[in-house]
Amino acid sequence: MTGFRKMTAFAAAAVLLLAGCATTTGGSGGGGDPAGGRLTAAGTYPIESLDPHGAQGATTGTQLAAQAIFSRLVRPGADGKVEGDLAEKWEPGATAAEWTFHLRSGVTFSDGKPVAAADVVASFERMMTLDGPNAANFPGYKMTAPAENEVKLTAPAPDASIPRKLGLFYVIPRTVTAQDTAFFTRPIGSGPYTVNRFAPGEVLAMSPNAKYWGDRPQLANLEIRTIPDLSARLTALRTGEVDVVWGIPDDQLPVLSETDGLTVKTVPSTAVFTMWFNSSTPALKTAEVRRALWQAVDFGTIIKQLYPRTGALADGLVAPAVLGYAKQQPVGHDPKAAKAALESAGFDFGKKLRLQFSDAEFRPFVQAVASGLAEIGVQVDVLEKEKAVFTEDLLALNWDINFQQLATPTYDAASNLGRLYTCAAKRTGYCNKDLDELLAKAGESPDEAERAELYGQAGKIIWADAVGMYPMTVQLAYSWRARVTGFTPDPSGLPDFSHVRLAGA
Amino acid sequence: MSQAAVLPQQVATRRWRRGAPARVPYVVIALYALVALIGPLVIDYDPVHTPLTDRLLAPGSQLSSGGVAWLGTDALGRDILAQVVYGARTSLTIGLATVLVACLVGVTIGVVAGYARGWLDAVLARITDVLQAFPAILLAIVIAGVFARSVPVVVLSLSVTAWISFARVTRGVALSLRERAWVDAARVMGVPVRSIIVRHVLPFTVGPVVALATLEFALVVLAEAGLSFLGIGLPTGAVSWGQTIANGQQYLETAWWISTLPGIALSLLIINMGILGDQLTARYGQRRTRS
Repeated sequence: MTGFRKMTAFAAAAVLLLAGCATTTGGSGGGGDPAGGRLTAAGTYPIESLDPHGAQGATTGTQLAAQAIFSRLVRPGADGKVEGDLAEKWEPGATAAEWTFHLRSGVTFSDGKPVAAADVVASFERMMTLDGPNAANFPGYKMTAPAENEVKLTAPAPDASIPRKLGLFYVIPRTVTAQDTAFFTRPIGSGPYTVNRFAPGEVLAMSPNAKYWGDRPQLANLEIRTIPDLSARLTALRTGEVDVVWGIPDDQLPVLSETDGLTVKTVPSTAVFTMWFNSSTPALKTAEVRRALWQAVDFGTIIKQLYPRTGALADGLVAPAVLGYAKQQPVGHDPKAAKAALESAGFDFGKKLRLQFSDAEFRPFVQAVASGLAEIGVQVDVLEKEKAVFTEDLLALNWDINFQQLATPTYDAASNLGRLYTCAAKRTGYCNKDLDELLAKAGESPDEAERAELYGQAGKIIWADAVGMYPMTVQLAYSWRARVTGFTPDPSGLPDFSHVRLAGA
Repeated sequence: MSQAAVLPQQVATRRWRRGAPARVPYVVIALYALVALIGPLVIDYDPVHTPLTDRLLAPGSQLSSGGVAWLGTDALGRDILAQVVYGARTSLTIGLATVLVACLVGVTIGVVAGYARGWLDAVLARITDVLQAFPAILLAIVIAGVFARSVPVVVLSLSVTAWISFARVTRGVALSLRERAWVDAARVMGVPVRSIIVRHVLPFTVGPVVALATLEFALVVLAEAGLSFLGIGLPTGAVSWGQTIANGQQYLETAWWISTLPGIALSLLIINMGILGDQLTARYGQRRTRS
């Protein structure tokens, strides 16, 4: 009798457990939605906040949400060129220190109120007051509204990259104060979507904004879910619980490609694996030593083995889509020459170099690099650090070689080369007066072709002096189910769902 | 009475029959110790070297260097068998060191508290109570996370809570022992306290402490693997089962051997340690009233 009771109790518990699973994993299933047109996406990073001006404003998750809910003055297009969003046209003043943006007329927020220049100015001031990471792009910048449909941004010094930098600036209603957090639980914006439900780090459910000025999105419902565990995310894609997934590691791609009903595609991102040398370390002071270390590692083989589909040998400091990209002479793998160069430079083989990095996903790559350096007798201490510690040490130059996946979300070398390689930046311990001059000139010129040319010259110096190693450009892998049509993978991991349709919906 | 009727021969066979499965843990643990001691001398392994052309090979595959990867290779082409062998050494070393430190600290505090009684006992007992209120693994994660990664830090972070059970057990033993006639006699004869503790109290704690140490050892090995799995334990240069298991996490579907084989090695050791601990507890363990 007791045995039977136990059995029933066990069975009941099992049923409950299963039912529990069903509600948590299957509740938002895309397949059988009667209304049709519900798309579920699962990105790489969680959406912790919807406030694009706040401390989380620069994170990929918040950016992804913000571009669906809010509008910007301008936004980067698929090819990296600047497109108008709220602004119809824009032009610099006498110098690039002053930019005027003419607003599109007839744009309203989702509550029906018109978007005016005052909203844009108030949003800019809110961003500057909150002093989040995006505000750091505009130190001392002022925005004014000289007319009802015109805003003017004034920089303390000429800055030609302003239109591209403004791709990170979102407009919200002027009534929202800096400390207003309640607004962002159901925010009002002028973007293609409005928010139905938001649970930080879990789910963001949206539906089309009926008042959107552009083409109305085709999907009836768009849900962006956070599934932190990679294998769970891929399983969800295969079972149909999720329709679109991106940021998939290379080793998982063959399995997905073989699965019926899944499309796998990679797009070149703006990210480049960047491995700076700390030029203020005595051992790495000379360009000969740094170049030799670069030569010692067989990056070609490493990339072919670890990133056959999502990586390619880099031939520039920034990705080809970025303004300021210039092709450089590839550094070939030559361990013998490397060893000889190190010996003639008097390199101390007894001393260990500290190689720091942060994310576990890069561990194999970094370890393979350390293995390559070890082969010519250079000892490397591979230090995997927690994100906060890593950033602190990075800024304090508390490393010898630093690994980072460096993206250029503004598609402008100003925010990469112009920001990181000046003497004043003190980011790599490298200082070169000629380079400083070139970068300053490139930052000021309003002519894009001239800027690209100047950044190209600067890149040549950085590449030749081996301020760092620039082994690989990164491709971002996307996979989506067959019923999703019209989806374009985005190079920055911020896909736009407004043109996506669902077959049969 | 009935025992007299049984031939000594039969008793021996029965004991042997009953004893054979009981000896399994000894054999398994001895095997692990042997592998940890001798294995690294036989198998050559350099965690820094990454032969990428051999990556993700299935168990029994031919390596490009001509050898055979009996247990397969990981995502960087490193041999899994070597990682299991070197990981055994790491696990056993850290387990032994932690248990030793915890044992020394715990027994000292426990005996002093139990023998002294009074305010000293009150203070020490409350300290152990307060520490016990913290989840052990959380405390270990905090300590291991704050300092740079190294073996001593892992040992320290695991010992911080491991000594508590030793202290509690020895305190109980000492409390009851100090009332026994031979201790009283020694005290009356004017034997110094230190000698009483060393000669008349400590020897009686050995049984329960050894039994407890075995169980603690299993827990420590598991906790170390857990820390390494989370990537906060040992430096990347060290080989640990936890690290290998973590490395294979995303390959469970395509290359199951990376996580599975070290996982089996770990669970076999833990299970056998647990059985051995139970046996020892049954034989030497102090029957304690739960407080």
